[in-house]
Amino acid sequence: MNEFFHMGGYARFVWPAYALTLAIVVLNIVWARRALARACEEARRRVPIRGARP
Amino acid sequence: MAWTWFHRLASPPHVYALATRLTPWVAWPAAVLILAGLYGGLVLAPPDYQQGDGFRIIYVHASSGWMSLMVYVTMATSAAVGLIWRMKIAHAVAASCAPIGASFTLAALVTGSLWGRPMWGTYWEWDPRLTSELILLFLYLGYMALRSAIDEVHRADRASALLAVVGVVNVPIIHYSVLWWNSLHQAPSVMKLAKPEMPPAMLLPLLLMLAGFTLFFLSLLLVRLRGEILRRERSASWIREALAG
Repeated sequence: MNEFFHMGGYARFVWPAYALTLAIVVLNIVWARRALARACEEARRRVPIRGARP
Repeated sequence: MAWTWFHRLASPPHVYALATRLTPWVAWPAAVLILAGLYGGLVLAPPDYQQGDGFRIIYVHASSGWMSLMVYVTMATSAAVGLIWRMKIAHAVAASCAPIGASFTLAALVTGSLWGRPMWGTYWEWDPRLTSELILLFLYLGYMALRSAIDEVHRADRASALLAVVGVVNVPIIHYSVLWWNSLHQAPSVMKLAKPEMPPAMLLPLLLMLAGFTLFFLSLLLVRLRGEILRRERSASWIREALAG
């Protein structure tokens, strides 16, 4: 197991590369969901509630 | 008739509903493919005879690089469709692409530089491949800045679409840079299916990662696209139904 994390001496290059990519994958999921939620919120404000206007 | 599907793709309610339904069918296979690719790349694949375990960066680096180009081509193509046929949905697709592409271009640059340090002896070199990929990042950022500088969404669509279409000239430059110029960066070793330069135990995990990232992009696009459609539909009665559902 230790050998796996050691990555044949390349650990300090391999793991940061994987960590950054993982972070960008996770952030993309968060950002996409947040963008959709924000658009829903704005649309809700824009579109009159049923029955409130003629 | 034969063109019905195309016309339906121009209908916001139809695309909104389709995107909602499709998302899990794309997102879960993406997760499975990426996890399988990671296991194959980090555990099963043998170390490279020259680069040792350092070569394993390829599984995140090449996948990010592939995303950076594929997302740009998707963005520029939909921007062109939006300009030519004045299709709102196409503009919405283009706008959804930019943040995804920008973030993976950054990932490609940083993972590449983490590979370059032990293999080339430097984090950065003003090499044709690296420089043109950096320009790609600036194109994405310029596209996003231009959009956010224009309040009216339809004007933002048209202006940013022009930038996206003009910038597509950079894509073949990036792709062929390693062949046209004497570059530090290695020549393509994957996109030669006739005679691949990697053994199957190394190549297969990479193909799984590329397929997984492609589906991951598609699922992000579907989620973002719904938001962009909502932003473009002013007071349409179907918005109520979409929000209620």
